[in-house]
Amino acid sequence: MMELLKRLFLGDQNSSRKQANDRLRVVLTHDRLTVNADVMETIKEEILQVIAKHIDIEGSPEVNLITEGRHAALDISIPLKGR
Amino acid sequence: MGNILEECQVYVVTSGKGGVGKTTTVANLSTGLAKLGYKVVVMDLDIGLKKLDLIMGLENRVIYDIVQVAEGECTLKQALVKDKRFPDLFMLPAAQTRNKEDISIEQVKTICDELREEFDYIFIDSPAGIEQGFKNSIAAADKAIVVTNPEVSAVRDADRIIGMLESAGFKDIKLLINRLRPDMVKKGDMLSIDDLIEHLCIDPLGVVPEDKSVVISTNRGEPIVLTNTPAANAFSNIVQRLTGEDVETMVVPEDSFWTKVKRNLFGAN
Repeated sequence: MMELLKRLFLGDQNSSRKQANDRLRVVLTHDRLTVNADVMETIKEEILQVIAKHIDIEGSPEVNLITEGRHAALDISIPLKGR
Repeated sequence: MGNILEECQVYVVTSGKGGVGKTTTVANLSTGLAKLGYKVVVMDLDIGLKKLDLIMGLENRVIYDIVQVAEGECTLKQALVKDKRFPDLFMLPAAQTRNKEDISIEQVKTICDELREEFDYIFIDSPAGIEQGFKNSIAAADKAIVVTNPEVSAVRDADRIIGMLESAGFKDIKLLINRLRPDMVKKGDMLSIDDLIEHLCIDPLGVVPEDKSVVISTNRGEPIVLTNTPAANAFSNIVQRLTGEDVETMVVPEDSFWTKVKRNLFGAN
């Protein structure tokens, strides 16, 4: 009964199925790109450094890996400081 | 008897991970097609670790193997083992005491081309892994069936295999989900059909539920597709789809009320 109530109120946030999906999402993306999470982190930092060398960055820049089907792309959003 | 199809269709059944049901799939799809009157041959390319003869109940009929055919020790016709039940179903056995390297891609292609002349469908049972045996198995095939289980390790391996098939130029890659337990999916304890399709991004060919009867059929050496069980119905459904019939993907049935009562009372499934 508690299980049922928990599921009704909390949804399946912590179900093993959800965990499996989350873990697969990460691992498959990295497998396909043949890079690991650390490399992705380094790439993000370096991209920001290159941009910041030439233009002032404002606010919080975002570099995200997005996947569509079996393909992945870097989604870069960097707000620039105007005059 | 003449062939039904104008052009032979060659499928490789593969998975990356071992133990997900490749050989069971090959045995059942081939038997199901033979039952419909098609001329079918299965090639066991798991050289050194053969299983297909055992699953099909043909282990006592094996005389020659595929490596002997490749090396010219016997003819292809001599090596083909005729099925017990269907006269138009044949198996080309793997060699048990040899290695995957004892046959080359060219030799597999040559054998397969010779079989194309005679049969409607050829199924190639690929070994687990991504090494030479896998490469031999995909070399002669036109289409691929990737077998997976709703389990993270099997999905990861399937993804790797799909990538390799795509790089090898395969355009027709279908997913077969084996050993699904709808009750566990419902409880949030198993990856669902949609989850698997979303991760692997390929079209499903079908879904086979977990079914204890598979163990029993395997013990007896009789393909389960000939029985009347949930897994048998699922394989029959997939067979129909292979022949181009536009059948709905079988929805894996929920346990009926009485099945549940029986299970709770007697612990039977």
